[in-house]
Amino acid sequence: MKDAFLLVYRNIRERKTRSILTMLGIVVGIAAVVAIMSISYGMQESITEQLSEMTDIIMVTPGSQELGSFGEFGSFTERDLNDVERISGVKEAAAMMGEMQEVEYRGEKVMVEIVGIKPRDMDAVFGSTVKLEEDSGSGISASGRELRENDRKACQIGYSIANDYFDYEIGVNDRLTINGSKFRVIGVLEKQGGFRSNVDAQIYVTKRDAIDIFGTNDISSIFVRVRDIEEAEAIADEIGEQIDDNHKLDDFTSAMAMGGAIEDLNSIFQVLQVFLLAIVSISLIVAAMGIMNTTLMSVMERTHEIGVMKAIGAKNRNILFLFLMEAGVVSGIGGVLGCIVGWGAAEVISFGIYSAFDVEIAVVMKLQVLLGGVAIAVLVGILSGFYPARKASKLSPVEAVRYE
Amino acid sequence: MGKAKTRKVECMIHTENLCKTYRMGDVVVQALRDVNMEIKDGEFVAIIGPSGSGKSTLLNLLGCLDKPTSGAVFIGGTDTASLSENALAEIRREKIGFIFQQFNLIHTLNALENVALPMFFAGVGRDVRLKKAEELLVKVELGERMYHKPSELSGGQQQRVAIARSLSNDPAIIIGDEPTGNVDTDTGTAIMQILEGLNREGKTIIVVTHDAEIAARAGRTKRMRDGKVLE
Ligand SMILES: Nc1ncnc2c1ncn2[C@@H]1O[C@H](COP(=O)(O)OP(=O)(O)OP(=O)(O)O)[C@@H](O)[C@H]1O
Ligand SMILES: [Mg+2]
Repeated sequence: MKDAFLLVYRNIRERKTRSILTMLGIVVGIAAVVAIMSISYGMQESITEQLSEMTDIIMVTPGSQELGSFGEFGSFTERDLNDVERISGVKEAAAMMGEMQEVEYRGEKVMVEIVGIKPRDMDAVFGSTVKLEEDSGSGISASGRELRENDRKACQIGYSIANDYFDYEIGVNDRLTINGSKFRVIGVLEKQGGFRSNVDAQIYVTKRDAIDIFGTNDISSIFVRVRDIEEAEAIADEIGEQIDDNHKLDDFTSAMAMGGAIEDLNSIFQVLQVFLLAIVSISLIVAAMGIMNTTLMSVMERTHEIGVMKAIGAKNRNILFLFLMEAGVVSGIGGVLGCIVGWGAAEVISFGIYSAFDVEIAVVMKLQVLLGGVAIAVLVGILSGFYPARKASKLSPVEAVRYE
Repeated sequence: MGKAKTRKVECMIHTENLCKTYRMGDVVVQALRDVNMEIKDGEFVAIIGPSGSGKSTLLNLLGCLDKPTSGAVFIGGTDTASLSENALAEIRREKIGFIFQQFNLIHTLNALENVALPMFFAGVGRDVRLKKAEELLVKVELGERMYHKPSELSGGQQQRVAIARSLSNDPAIIIGDEPTGNVDTDTGTAIMQILEGLNREGKTIIVVTHDAEIAARAGRTKRMRDGKVLE
């Protein structure tokens, strides 16, 4: 075995350039597989992580998706909220009011989505993931405090509002003007990014203030948390019927159980993953043809040598083994390098996504993926080396020895 | 060629109406025509004859490197036509040592590894293999050149490595197709001396040569012409 390896190794080394080029094909193929797998595992993980706290949530919004167009959006009433709260299995229901409003800060005016919510409902909506920004170590709390029920003309602002929307940074105790009335910033929220990046671009006020600003008490969406995730779908249906009844409309309400949505997202994701892998496997096919070609050339060039080996007693299977091993070693090394390159590429892609879209996707490198990558490489090598290796093993000793 | 003869142990190799025809398109070359010969155990046979008379063709058939068009080659009483490819490979590996005019060493392997190669194919363990290869190289007086690649050896040295390689599975028969054809006269004589030594040890030796002087050293000389053995 060791000597077979030596023999194979010497042959590979003797044709260094060609071996490296062949290897390169495998490296690219496996690197692509490894990078895609680890990035998509990373995405899946961050989706699951970000959304896992939302599995017991039902999002209730007006205007069903079937009806489609935005123009048909309506709003909910206080009565709808009360009815939803009364449905059995509902743990809490939080109403949110949202509207785009002109916000002015130091003379600069920007349209921002203002969200009105009862402070005690904040937790129901966001769980524990949305936090005030961490102290930046200055000693004084830079991030302020949560909204309270009896706050007047006070607001919490999202991270992007504080840092990006206006020329000047906005901090705690700064004042901004929303639709003509002055508000004091009492808290800055931690950066969310990813699936919650909308939070970064919102300003939160108490429901009472929102009614003042908007001039209406229409509710734009209701967040419902259920006691039992299993019942979420059924409760969502019931909520939809209840509100439709209230408004005497069909399909007015869209009540979506997030748990189901997450599952849907996951399966979409798996489809995407398979699709990407299918594309990547094309590069593996190209690599396989490279190996086949190299091995065929190797067989041709070494016809004489094969003849000599057979003349001194090599069996067909000895020859077959040597050539398969050669293909396997080249592609195996290619596979290992491919894993390393793929890992690096994944880190680069992850960084690229972070820089471009502000979404953090960790690279999840699973041992199975690495081992699988090397195994696939070796398999591809051996399979594509098989035809030439077999051809080599079948050569007639005299004819092969005569071949120069 | 009665059956009684095939059973005799001392009859190492014999052929029955051995024919080999090469067909290249319309051209048919009868390289061997009805060759009947026997070589006894421990004999030293030299085959001479003009170029194209079929010497190499005959040796390739005796060495189981090729198959006859008709007729048969018996080795140790076994009809080689009845053997599978694997069994033929085993005969080449265990019973026959083949020496070529062009040496035909594996150029990526050093002398020691070349000599050990037939044992590798025979599945002999690494340590045993290398020790035996070393002994064989010492025997052909190449103990100092064990780790040299063929390209670093002279023609005569390469041929001695090839002889050592042919001995590696301790075969009963050594077949050489002009083993002295590519070396100078002195080296040729030295190689013949090695072969004579092996013959004294009991090996059956069959060599093709163009050199009458070398042929004269053999126990028996067979002359070939136009695919026939003239005796
Ligand atoms: N593979 C082949 N295809 C076609 N013809 C062949 C082949 N091998 C040998 N021959 C022909 O068969 C005849 C015998 O060839 P062979 O090689 O046995 O001669 P030889 O006695 O060994 O000659 P030399 O002394 O030149 O080596 C020649 O006419 C040769 O052209
Ligand atoms: Mg010849």
